Amino acid sequence: MALTPSKLFVDSTVSLTKAAAGCDLQVESVGGPDCSQLRDLGFCEQMRVRKIANGRNLICTVCGSRLAISSHLADHIQVKQLS
Amino acid sequence: MSEALVQEQAAPRLALVGHPNVGKSTLFNALTGSRAKVGNYGGVTVGVKTGELFTPHGQKLELADLPGCLSLVSRADDEAVTRDVLLGINGAPAPDLVVCVVDASALERHLPLVLQVIELRLPAVLVLNKIDLAESQGVSVDATLLSEEVGLPVIPIRADEGVGVLDLKQALRFPFPRSAPKSWHAAKKSEQAIGELSERFNALGLVNPDRQAWLALADEGFRKNLSSEAQAEVHGVVEESDGGLTPGEDLESARRERVREIVNIAVNEHAGEQSALTDKIDAELLHPVRGLLYLALIFFLLFWSIFKWAEAPMTFVEDVFGAAGDFARSALPEGLFTDLIVEGIIGGVGGVVVFLPQILLLFLFLGILESTGYMARAAFLMDGVMSRVGLSGRSFLPLLSGYACAIPGVMATRSVPSAKERLLTILILPWMSCSARLPVYLLLIPLMVAGVFQQALVMFGLYALGTVTAFVVARLLKGTVGLAKDHQPSFLMELPPYRAPDWRYIARHLLERATAFLVKAGTVILAISVILWALATFPKAPSGEESDQFEYSAMGRMGQAIEPVVAPLGWDARLGTAMLASFSAREVFNSQVAISYAVDEEDDDAVREEFRRSYELPTVLSLLVFYVFALQCFPTTVVVARESKSWKVAIGQLAGMSIFAYVAALATFHLSALFL
Repeated sequence: MALTPSKLFVDSTVSLTKAAAGCDLQVESVGGPDCSQLRDLGFCEQMRVRKIANGRNLICTVCGSRLAISSHLADHIQVKQLS
Repeated sequence: MSEALVQEQAAPRLALVGHPNVGKSTLFNALTGSRAKVGNYGGVTVGVKTGELFTPHGQKLELADLPGCLSLVSRADDEAVTRDVLLGINGAPAPDLVVCVVDASALERHLPLVLQVIELRLPAVLVLNKIDLAESQGVSVDATLLSEEVGLPVIPIRADEGVGVLDLKQALRFPFPRSAPKSWHAAKKSEQAIGELSERFNALGLVNPDRQAWLALADEGFRKNLSSEAQAEVHGVVEESDGGLTPGEDLESARRERVREIVNIAVNEHAGEQSALTDKIDAELLHPVRGLLYLALIFFLLFWSIFKWAEAPMTFVEDVFGAAGDFARSALPEGLFTDLIVEGIIGGVGGVVVFLPQILLLFLFLGILESTGYMARAAFLMDGVMSRVGLSGRSFLPLLSGYACAIPGVMATRSVPSAKERLLTILILPWMSCSARLPVYLLLIPLMVAGVFQQALVMFGLYALGTVTAFVVARLLKGTVGLAKDHQPSFLMELPPYRAPDWRYIARHLLERATAFLVKAGTVILAISVILWALATFPKAPSGEESDQFEYSAMGRMGQAIEPVVAPLGWDARLGTAMLASFSAREVFNSQVAISYAVDEEDDDAVREEFRRSYELPTVLSLLVFYVFALQCFPTTVVVARESKSWKVAIGQLAGMSIFAYVAALATFHLSALFL
């Protein structure tokens, strides 16, 4: 069976900045100098995240809380699409 | 009385610990009956507040409300306050029991902090707040299972409704439980590193060496606070750990693994309402273009309402003071004492108190914005603008507080994580027009334009002038405070769900503000008014003519001395002395002009009439611009010195803003004189 682009996306990880808005995602890895702060805020490995809006600052829900995060920080969060 | 007995009688200390905006201050108020400030956004509490409570068994307890923190590894000064209290260092005694407050709807985010408290071996209880919100989101937490897994008593509550508060008081029985056993472990070498460092710290005589050792390994920033000997010990222990994860990273990893296990066991998620309403409102209010328009509209409505709705209560206050003046004039014999009562006290204080309705309207609107959750959205919207001047949207919240008063605004900068961004925010903050400037604006604006809409527009313009100038100056000072040219501020903030305003809290807050304003009017402004009256009355002019009195008085002579300095601004001796007097409190400007004109009525229209007779529009504009920019508040300078830990910064700010205000007023006067 040929792999469709969407199938490829589901299997691979992208940065949170590049993930599409409205998707349910799972955090795969967190890096960068602010990784501890991101984890403390809830962006830690295996956590489910829903991306609500794109922009200069992204809006995501993590554990039912709505968080705003600069896109340059979101670049350090690798996510996998769940839906 | 022996020392042992005194210690025995001291109330056990409790501390509320949790993430920002989890409801600690609401719980603090519910437990102690206090009136600590609360708001629907993170970072409202930046210092330690204490209160007392009694358990149902009559045990007196001392409760501290600590600033919110995501972790004990602090990134901002307010988080460091919480860290120091829990460690029992820097003069803060460690609490006997920690009350960990978590949001039941976001347990996985909040539990790591609770496990950190357990790692510090502090006795604790776990308060599961916002259980109603969790249920509405389809999250149910089994408190019994959670208690078994965490090893702490768990009390579900709804702090805002007071539900479960009695259960919590029951759980605070004395003697307190011992610290919970730690049911997770990092790699052996990390555990050994903590033990080793703890022993070395103990040998150095550090207080609570085990807790300090734990934090020194987890937080590189904390190490810098230690003595050079202690730092050398930390360095030695870290060097000994042979590669791989640092002890801090290792502990964090083990903690998060345990949190996942606990959540899997104790939390059940099922289909619930997602916050569709908040999403819909946010889609509109946080729109990059429309969102900023809504923000501007909200503030314009605020200023419009200040002019529109305050008219009737202001007339009432004017009538009360007018009647009091008439009564005093008719009941007392003619003479100096009557003049003091009518012109000095009733005229001086009345000239300020008349603006109470408008000040309360300002606080009513700010209270609604704080209570509904809009403040965090305002910070989000302003982040794009503020990043251009080197600040993040996070700094906008203290700046917004500055619209009420610069002092709590400067203190609120503790929640700004970057020290350089914090300093920059402090430097520009007094340009946010505080409520003390409001009476001056309200006196002068009707001299420029008639009509509520136009007056509101001018008021909006004055606030915008201060704010925009603050941003421009921040851009210019960016390098001076050490921020790199390509500095990219980080923005991380929780956007709380929208809530209906908490009218009970807002009403209480308004009552407090009204009381504080009236106390200030009845003490500071009263005293200054009496002094100003005396300076305007003595020595008496030999001619006995009222028109000669001001020039002959001490105030008139002071005014003549300062006149050469203020004359280029279009001001005369009266305005010069009013400006000087308002360094004690800006509102005194109104009292001073009322006294110096010896206006009989407390009616501000009478003062305006005198203004119209004496000055042209460029002078009014020059005065307004001066009051927008001048830092005429010594208490603010003291707080800036304390928060920036530098008198050089505070004095430099006072001098810089005074010179800026003078030059801006000078330019305004001469440019407007050319065109008007």
